[in-house]
Amino acid sequence: MKIEVFAALKDYFDGEFEVTTNASSIEAVKAILVNLQPSAIDVLNTCRFAVNDEFIDNDFQLQESDTISIIPPSSGG
Amino acid sequence: MIPSALYHQAAVANYISAEPLDVMSLFAQAHHENAGAIVLFSGEVRNSHNGKEVVFLEYEAKVSMANKMIGAILTEATERYGLLVAKAVHRIGKVAVSEPAVVVITAAGHRKESYEANEFIIDKIKHEVPIWKCEIFADGKKLWGGNCNCH
Repeated sequence: MKIEVFAALKDYFDGEFEVTTNASSIEAVKAILVNLQPSAIDVLNTCRFAVNDEFIDNDFQLQESDTISIIPPSSGG
Repeated sequence: MIPSALYHQAAVANYISAEPLDVMSLFAQAHHENAGAIVLFSGEVRNSHNGKEVVFLEYEAKVSMANKMIGAILTEATERYGLLVAKAVHRIGKVAVSEPAVVVITAAGHRKESYEANEFIIDKIKHEVPIWKCEIFADGKKLWGGNCNCH
């Protein structure tokens, strides 16, 4: 599963990386990331998740082939 | 071979710029013979944040999503306020103090719709679109996000 992160999350993770998992939910992926970088938990808890340029709900069923974008709160302008 | 219509679409749907924004050039494209009011908002880089000297900002975006979302916001604003022209461009990369980070232009028959639509668009861009600012301070420290006092 490919993960891409942005902004403050890049202080904790590479911009793009892969995790080998059969996790199918956002919560499961988040748990993997917290396990990798426990100090990222506060930022991760504020993030939205997207697949194929669309925000996804908590019950979205992730596929192994998905690229998951982890989107911190917007701060443009 | 990509049909020319798609090239045109790609060129039009370019709401994120890595190059400095030419505010007056954007304004020059916003005139409309039925428009009695054009509102131009330029969001510019302030030199301080909570008393700390800001040297410059660095903006990042998830460009593909940001382009789609800004396009949808402009369409929604056009329908909601009956706009004749709706434009928005947001910078990514390094933006210096006093340079524009985002420009929103709205043209309508009358000023009320132009003002309200412009605020509607910039509020949505700030709060919903995946664009992030990182403030770089004079002491070399940096700070992601924040700086929004409109909540």
